[in-house]
Amino acid sequence: MKTFKTLFFVCFISFNVPLIAQTADEVIETYFENTGGIENWGALNGVKMNASANNQGMEIPVEIIQLKDGRQAVKISFQGQEITQFAFDGETMWSTNFMTMQPEKTESEMTENFKKQSKDFPSPLFNYKEKGYTAELMEDETIDGAETFKIKLTQTPLMVDGVEQPNISYHYFDKDSYAIIQSEAEIQQGPMKGQKSISKMSDYQEIDGLYFPFDMSMGGQSIKITSITLNPEVEDSVFAFPEE
Amino acid sequence: MKNSILGFAILLIFPFVNAQEIPIKGEQLFGNLKARHIGPAVMSGRITDIELHPTKDNIIYAGAAGGGVWKSTDSGTFFNSIFDDHAQSIGSIAVDPVDPDNIVWVGTGETWVRNSVSIGDGIYKTTDGGTNWKKMGLEKSERISGIKINPNNNQEVYVGVMGALWSDSEERGVYKTTDGGETWDKILYVNETTGVADIAMDPTNPNILYASMWQFRRSPWSFNSGGEHSGLYKTTDGGKTWNKIHNGFPKGKLGRIALGIAPSQPETVYVVLETEEAKTNGLYRSDNGGNSWEHLNNNFELVVRPFYFSRITVDPKNPDILVKGGLNGALSRDGGKTFKPLGRMHPDIHDIAFHIHNSDIMYAGTDGGVYRSWNGGSTLEIVENIPVSQYYHVSVDDAEPYNVYGGLQDNGSWYGPSSAPGGVKAKHWNSVGYGDGFRVLKHPTKNIIYSEMQGAANVWRYDVDRNQTKTIQPMAEKGDPKLRFNWNPPMALSHFYPDRFYMGSQFLHRSDDMGDTWTKISPDLTTNDPKKQDQSSSGGLSIDNSGAETHTTIFTIAESPLDENIIWVGTDDGNVQVTQDGGKTWTNTVANIPDLPKNTWCYKIYASNFNKGTAYAIFEGHAIGDMNPYAYKTTDFGNTWKSIITDDIVGFARSIHEDYENENLLFLGTEFGLFITVDGGQNWSRFTNNMPAASVMYIALHKKTSDLVLATHGRGIIIIDDISPLREITSEILDKEVHFFSSKPFVMKEESGFAGNYGTETQFVGENPSTNARIVYYLNKRHTFGKMEMEVQDLQGNKITTLNTGKSKGLNIVDWSFTTRGPKIAEAKTLSYGGFATPRVPAGTYNVVMTKGKETYTHPIEVIYDSNTIVTSEGRKERQRMVKILFDMNEELAYQVYKVNTTIQRAETLLAEDSKSKKVTEPVINKLTNLMKRMVITTGDNYVASAEPELREKLADLYSGVVNNYDKPTGAQMANYEAVKALYDEIMNSYEGIQKKEVSKFETYLEKNSKEPLSFQTKDEFLK
Repeated sequence: MKTFKTLFFVCFISFNVPLIAQTADEVIETYFENTGGIENWGALNGVKMNASANNQGMEIPVEIIQLKDGRQAVKISFQGQEITQFAFDGETMWSTNFMTMQPEKTESEMTENFKKQSKDFPSPLFNYKEKGYTAELMEDETIDGAETFKIKLTQTPLMVDGVEQPNISYHYFDKDSYAIIQSEAEIQQGPMKGQKSISKMSDYQEIDGLYFPFDMSMGGQSIKITSITLNPEVEDSVFAFPEE
Repeated sequence: MKNSILGFAILLIFPFVNAQEIPIKGEQLFGNLKARHIGPAVMSGRITDIELHPTKDNIIYAGAAGGGVWKSTDSGTFFNSIFDDHAQSIGSIAVDPVDPDNIVWVGTGETWVRNSVSIGDGIYKTTDGGTNWKKMGLEKSERISGIKINPNNNQEVYVGVMGALWSDSEERGVYKTTDGGETWDKILYVNETTGVADIAMDPTNPNILYASMWQFRRSPWSFNSGGEHSGLYKTTDGGKTWNKIHNGFPKGKLGRIALGIAPSQPETVYVVLETEEAKTNGLYRSDNGGNSWEHLNNNFELVVRPFYFSRITVDPKNPDILVKGGLNGALSRDGGKTFKPLGRMHPDIHDIAFHIHNSDIMYAGTDGGVYRSWNGGSTLEIVENIPVSQYYHVSVDDAEPYNVYGGLQDNGSWYGPSSAPGGVKAKHWNSVGYGDGFRVLKHPTKNIIYSEMQGAANVWRYDVDRNQTKTIQPMAEKGDPKLRFNWNPPMALSHFYPDRFYMGSQFLHRSDDMGDTWTKISPDLTTNDPKKQDQSSSGGLSIDNSGAETHTTIFTIAESPLDENIIWVGTDDGNVQVTQDGGKTWTNTVANIPDLPKNTWCYKIYASNFNKGTAYAIFEGHAIGDMNPYAYKTTDFGNTWKSIITDDIVGFARSIHEDYENENLLFLGTEFGLFITVDGGQNWSRFTNNMPAASVMYIALHKKTSDLVLATHGRGIIIIDDISPLREITSEILDKEVHFFSSKPFVMKEESGFAGNYGTETQFVGENPSTNARIVYYLNKRHTFGKMEMEVQDLQGNKITTLNTGKSKGLNIVDWSFTTRGPKIAEAKTLSYGGFATPRVPAGTYNVVMTKGKETYTHPIEVIYDSNTIVTSEGRKERQRMVKILFDMNEELAYQVYKVNTTIQRAETLLAEDSKSKKVTEPVINKLTNLMKRMVITTGDNYVASAEPELREKLADLYSGVVNNYDKPTGAQMANYEAVKALYDEIMNSYEGIQKKEVSKFETYLEKNSKEPLSFQTKDEFLK
């Protein structure tokens, strides 16, 4: 019996070896193929996501808009007030000061860093080579009990406190489905500098042929997506800094 | 033929069989059950090596004796751990001179080889500044003393391997790689007893290296430093040839040699020698690259304990300024002729680094953490956030929150709370002993703490309330031989008599009066081998008879929790003795233990909570070079023993704890972490969730909370909160798609206190446990596709709140803070912070409802009120009533404000398109706008430009005040309620009046003119 068990394992493993051996490109391509197709992702011009940030009894409505040209906005609603938490119109990034409720421009270093990522829609991994990024397949890891491929993505360096810093993130792809279930980015400043900020993704659901994670936790904050609109029509004023 | 048919049949069946019998192991078993670290960092711990980035002065690396590698990117204000997953004992760190931002090497295995030193498992390299590490070989090196990288070609690296401390080993000497660590050549080797103590490279010519070779050996009962094989070697051809350079050294044996090159003048080399005579010990200087040496100094700080202090650092700019590690460390500004001590800091200085630009700034690694000096070492300040405390033991009490007690290497004994407002901070820890601390035990009923120092030189009985101590250690009586207490002497409380406790020398001592008097209740339980009892010449060339090598002693005592007459004793020379009659007769059972090398140190005996004859014994032979784990179980008082070790275990074993409820649930601490079995030791799984690969020296399990409390020797106290779900795990559960674990009723704590905000920013803060309800369930697969949601419902199915679900394979823990949703608050110009308060549910039974795909799982939980509270049940009822009233008033106001706003907007749009409507719209707009100004804030901001509060703010503030007090609303709150209620009624009446008059006319106008009517959402729609 023992011999047969061993034999079975040998067979089982040897059949799977060629399937397991992967390159970074294969992993990333399969991810986009499995979540809707590379062409479809490429044809996407923008998304608008309505979500809810939950925290023990408080459910804060959030609206996230991301367009292919790099424009982005995140709006939250409190007590009937809609507040732009941050917005970027391609040139200017701004947020709302919670004391005065007035818009304020983001510090230029942060804005410049954001600009560098304006080609990242729908994902920094999409056509990463054309953007000058590099991807490296690391050793496999177990995340949330699931076997994953780990990809290290190196993007354009960032400026932090006047010093150039590498922009490195890690993405974990579930081996069964190739869906990304966790991403990590290095924290760039403060006491936690060098530690990782972890985002988890689950509840992938299909919207017009593309799969999106509907449940995300970012640094411990849970975001649940309630609806997604593909290629939304969005007014320019959503992104523009409101001049006096 | 018959066989192959059978084989085929089995092959077909096998996958099915496999699915039924899921082995109960794997990291995923634990899902998101996570450890939390409470430090402390108040005393930090031993730092073995400090390395600086060669061009960026804000980047510092510090290696710890048992706490891994820490990196600072802000000149030492904060350090973060970057080496959690690997051996935590660090020998040497090197930052690559060619690519210093990315490439760092770490050689594991401390080289300051005290009795308690840990081991390494090779050399590691990162190519991304410490995020990812790869082992580059030298697995059997045990300890690495130096790494030197060619600044012209970083593929070429030289590594000094000190090698095994307790045994012969051929894996020592100088190793070289020319391919970045893929392959290694041993380029300098003396013999199996002699390793590299220090290695140095000429910064201007990487072909010139110096290596000091050291003949050394420890055993459990002795230490030897020195021999004819020690020596100082130099190569000038990149390691092809090496020559001894002893011109000017005394004749005879040499011990450990410290080595330092002056970076600004590399022909100047300093060494510190340990020789046969005290007068020839100390500092030697060469100004010709080691061709000749001049003896300069044999001051105490230069010669003290070479095995522990052998680091010379020369100022990068000035060849005549050098510092040497030592008891206090010493600095010379005249090329080594004279020295002055460094300023006050924790003693035992192992390494010192000069800032790359300003030599007045120095960093020192001590037995008590990293210190910084800004003035050339005169005064120093400690880095407050490196929790690398080296615990030997841990115990807990039954306070709420419970306290954690334990002693540390060279840092005394301490106790502190397992949780505290704002986190467990430095200020929460209390000192209860000097020297090296070991066991600290709280008296079961009195506010008295027992603590001890090395070798039981002092055992203290500390009356906490009166701040009084009495030393109470057992002492030799007439006719007694010298009492032999281990460096780490055993102490144990009785389960049966609060004032009884035990201590072990070679005898077992029992006191029934808290240590005032002692009775020997055993003969000498050790082998009493005289060969292992003479420590007077221990140390080798430098005598070092500190007591650290005292041997043939009792090391562990376990009184059965089931029978006071059953006591187990384990000795450091490998005896396992048991008495079943309170010490009258003893049986040595060690001969019954299979496959255990003779005289292997018995490190821990655990007497079972379930059966009188059952006990667990842990052995470890690392101090005789045996790194295998040994753990045995007996069920018959030691007549037979069975090993419970499997291949899953990594590292030699140190400690074990049995669960109090499930006898198959065991926790095993090894030199490289924590292992857990749920099937009595058939399968073990390594626990890695926020758990570094640190040495787990001792384990406590808190009875009431089921928290597992770990004494790590290098990462402080680590707690895994409430391990009770592990009690239920069986292979049947692992086979289910979803399984909810049972839970005790959850207590809604009614605590709210103060933590302070500022002044402690740079201190480590220990993480608190969650005080929420913990909903624990198992998933057999990580949930990635499709919806999975969880909410809390009351028994009628009404939603209380939504929870954020865990999706991991294995255990998932979801917190619920007992709150339901907050009220919907009226829209205004500013935010009403009071409106964010979320009320707690009343005690009772609730259902946790999980939907996953098409399946729905319902799991009832019970929540109860805190019994330890000033709040009365009547008070709670009254509060609950008022919360409901105020909650509803807030939402009613929000709805009315919505209606007012909608009405104003409709009137304004009409006015804009139809100027004739002015006579009906203008009164509506004016009246309602004026009313609105009284309903909510319509001007100002959220900070100091805020407007005076209006009804909304008054109502929300009162509401949050009542919510946040757990007790009955105060008289003031009730009086305030009357005032707010009057305002509320008045405003609502006014609105009604306006509706009846102005709004009604407006609506009639709309109707008559066939305009779009004024319409509102229903209140239910609005609140949705």
